[in-house]
Amino acid sequence: MGVLSNVDGLRAVAGADCIAECAGQIVASPRTTEELAAIARYASANKLAIEIAGAGTKRGWGNPVGAKIVLKTTGLAGVRHHSWQDLTATVAAGTPWAAMQRALEAHGQQVALDPLWPETATVGGIVATNDSGALRLRYGSLRDLIIGMTIVLADGTIAKSGGKVVKNVAGYDLHKLMTGAFGTLGVIAEVTFRLHPLSQYAASFTVSASDVTNLKQLMQAIVASHLLTEGLQLRGTPDGFHLDVQLCAHPDSKQAEILRQMTAGQDLELESSSNRIWKAREALLLQPGRLILKATMLPTEVPDFALEVAEKGGEFVAQSLGIMYAAFPADELSCKLAEEFRYRIGLQGGTTFLLARPTPASSAETWALLTEGELPEAHPLMREIKRRFDPNRTLNPGRFVGGI
Amino acid sequence: MLDRSILEALRDAVNAGNAGEPSGLITETNQLQTYECDGLTNFRTVPDAVLLPRSAEQVQAIVRICAQHRIPFVARGSGTGLSGGALPAKGGIVISFARMNRILEIDIPNQRVVVEPGVINAHVTEAVAAHGYFYAPDPSSQSVCSIGGNVAENAGGAHCLKYGFTTTHVLGMDVVLPSGELVRFGSAAPDAPGYDLTGVFVGSEGTLGVATKIILRIVKRPETVQVLLAAFDSIPAAAQTVSDIIAAGMLPAALEMMDRLAAMASEAAVHPNYPVCEALLLVELDGPEAEVAAQMVEATELCRKNSAWEVRVAQTAEERGLIWKGRKAAFAAVGRISPNYIVQDGVIPRTALPRVLEDVTRMAGEVGLRVANVFHAGDGNLHPLVLYDRAIAGQEKIALDLSERILHLCVDHGGSITGEHGVGKEKQQAMGYMFSEPDMDTMQLVRQAFDPQNIANPDKLFPRPRLCGEKTGPYTPHPLETAGIAEFF
Repeated sequence: MGVLSNVDGLRAVAGADCIAECAGQIVASPRTTEELAAIARYASANKLAIEIAGAGTKRGWGNPVGAKIVLKTTGLAGVRHHSWQDLTATVAAGTPWAAMQRALEAHGQQVALDPLWPETATVGGIVATNDSGALRLRYGSLRDLIIGMTIVLADGTIAKSGGKVVKNVAGYDLHKLMTGAFGTLGVIAEVTFRLHPLSQYAASFTVSASDVTNLKQLMQAIVASHLLTEGLQLRGTPDGFHLDVQLCAHPDSKQAEILRQMTAGQDLELESSSNRIWKAREALLLQPGRLILKATMLPTEVPDFALEVAEKGGEFVAQSLGIMYAAFPADELSCKLAEEFRYRIGLQGGTTFLLARPTPASSAETWALLTEGELPEAHPLMREIKRRFDPNRTLNPGRFVGGI
Repeated sequence: MLDRSILEALRDAVNAGNAGEPSGLITETNQLQTYECDGLTNFRTVPDAVLLPRSAEQVQAIVRICAQHRIPFVARGSGTGLSGGALPAKGGIVISFARMNRILEIDIPNQRVVVEPGVINAHVTEAVAAHGYFYAPDPSSQSVCSIGGNVAENAGGAHCLKYGFTTTHVLGMDVVLPSGELVRFGSAAPDAPGYDLTGVFVGSEGTLGVATKIILRIVKRPETVQVLLAAFDSIPAAAQTVSDIIAAGMLPAALEMMDRLAAMASEAAVHPNYPVCEALLLVELDGPEAEVAAQMVEATELCRKNSAWEVRVAQTAEERGLIWKGRKAAFAAVGRISPNYIVQDGVIPRTALPRVLEDVTRMAGEVGLRVANVFHAGDGNLHPLVLYDRAIAGQEKIALDLSERILHLCVDHGGSITGEHGVGKEKQQAMGYMFSEPDMDTMQLVRQAFDPQNIANPDKLFPRPRLCGEKTGPYTPHPLETAGIAEFF
């Protein structure tokens, strides 16, 4: 079947308004879960691959998908339900993150997560890529904040998991399987979150040093203390290392003063910061022409790997929990150093993900290594799950770990 | 009964490398009877054999034999579950983790503890308490229940409003799949590549395999803890206070409520000095001292605003302990005022609390039974205790029927049939009330990927009549695959 007849076929099942043609691809923009299901069912039955896209901010993550159909979820937008007294909200997947947060703010609440590019990035895309920022230290990642989900499988099945209550152990947590699955098991249509009150007393501070060792000790002392920290982030820039701390305790508990004393004890100086420091990850990822990696490690390994990245000429933003975003220059030597870094992360039991490659790519071999990496031990089981959920490989085929 | 050659193979598997140790195979009928049920005692099945492995390799060898002969198996920790999750299958075996109870690693700087599944929940906290840490999930049975069982059921507790559930605190694990393969899920580092298998495994009630090693996250003990007790003349007034506390932006470590019957039973049993009232509210706040002090003042005012006639802040650790002792003893205490009772575990949106409790009282009155209510008010997890007397002909059936209708009521209000006890054997049918066929068919896809032979704790969790995979149909290979041109994936 040619493109045209598929366009007609899709229009017949999903409605003419939500199917368009663009540069040889079919762009499907469903406005309801039912339209979404009809599109998936048609594509699966006709062995047409679908690439799922929200705002497309993280489309470069994972392996490229060559698909006939691009499914835009941005038409599925809006906060469906905000039960503020129950601290829960149900949101359509195509809703931009910041738009959702603004709606929840009306009752002084939030989904306690600070993902990348919230003004444009959609709820569905953020969940599918399991993005998280500094707030994860205190509130956990999406797996801890999502209590229910509506998903559409490749065959058009509309399934719900979890519910609208915070505590619920009935059935399998399919929503955990969907979180971070890069859309390879189903299309996320709606997400129900548990909410937190907006932080009333957040205050940010930064300690800078040319030697990371001093900051390492301070970082460990903060983790072991009773300070209520919402964020703890180590940054490496050409002018040195910076430890960012966000405190959130009641002013009466005088935690800023405690932190100041701890800092002075290390012969360092504490400075007040603006909220902008928590956008450092965005700034790093937007640097053009860089090789950018996400690396995971144990919390105590963060300062040592930070030093390594700096010595190899890279810049980084790392959350104290053990997630580091590192940017290396694009030249051949730096790429070799980045590959060494990836190797050492792997030796320690962590993982490296390639988030952005410099253009033009200078060494195809390096990219291949960085992209593939080591497959997880349970990869055969993951493939089997994919096979059960999406036997025709309709949804984002090949995009996920090891070509799932 | 299992074939003699299979029993011998199981004996070899469980005793390999254990020279001089007691055998890990139990086949004596009187000993097997210990394993015929868990905390839900109205379902009983004597297993064909009980295995007590000491290592992951032995578990693997046992499961391989089960896979080869399609023998159903169920893992068992301390057997404290309340939904029949550890109930053996007919003709099946029990794998008991009583001998795999070592804490393998304590890593304070990284806030991790690695344990075998038989480790008792409270022992994790004991092992790290000296460093100022604790393991947050605290089911009422925490002094006896095992981490493996907690993982299977995704156990909660009174403090999960603030600290989350078992799933929040499990970072990774080693699992023996129903095929006998041993694999690692997740990793010590965050965001392990691939699907979140740890997330789907926790709370899967033993239907996806058997965990043999678990990486837990521990939490820094808060600087201070304070407990407030308030007495109200009505449930709606106490419920409104809960909503007001939440609306004020506080996230208490625990928010518990008891009705008159439950509070009176507790008082009679452990004498926590509870006031006699229609609704008793416990509020626990923790964090930095000054913050907790400020919030306690605010919470007290909110109680008063909603006409609490007594508000008491525990002044000492002893007083605090006594208040909690009364709450934690509530289930057992109810046993003193009624020969038999059924514990239910439904969840509702917190805002539906007054209406649901009113309906429960009315429904109980209609069939002439009493219901005592003890619940986690903060997260809407009800524990209605349906009181009855088995000796009175027909009353058990009425009680079971009432408790099922209470679950339906929870679902009708947008809630869940279970907040922490699990579906197990007990609530299989209620699953069909909460989830649609497509929802459960989708869950079955996961089940089939893990356990195509349906031998891991079969006939639990999903409603009875439908067989595994009945609706979804077999996988049809792609023509290119059949022709050997392309590999799937």
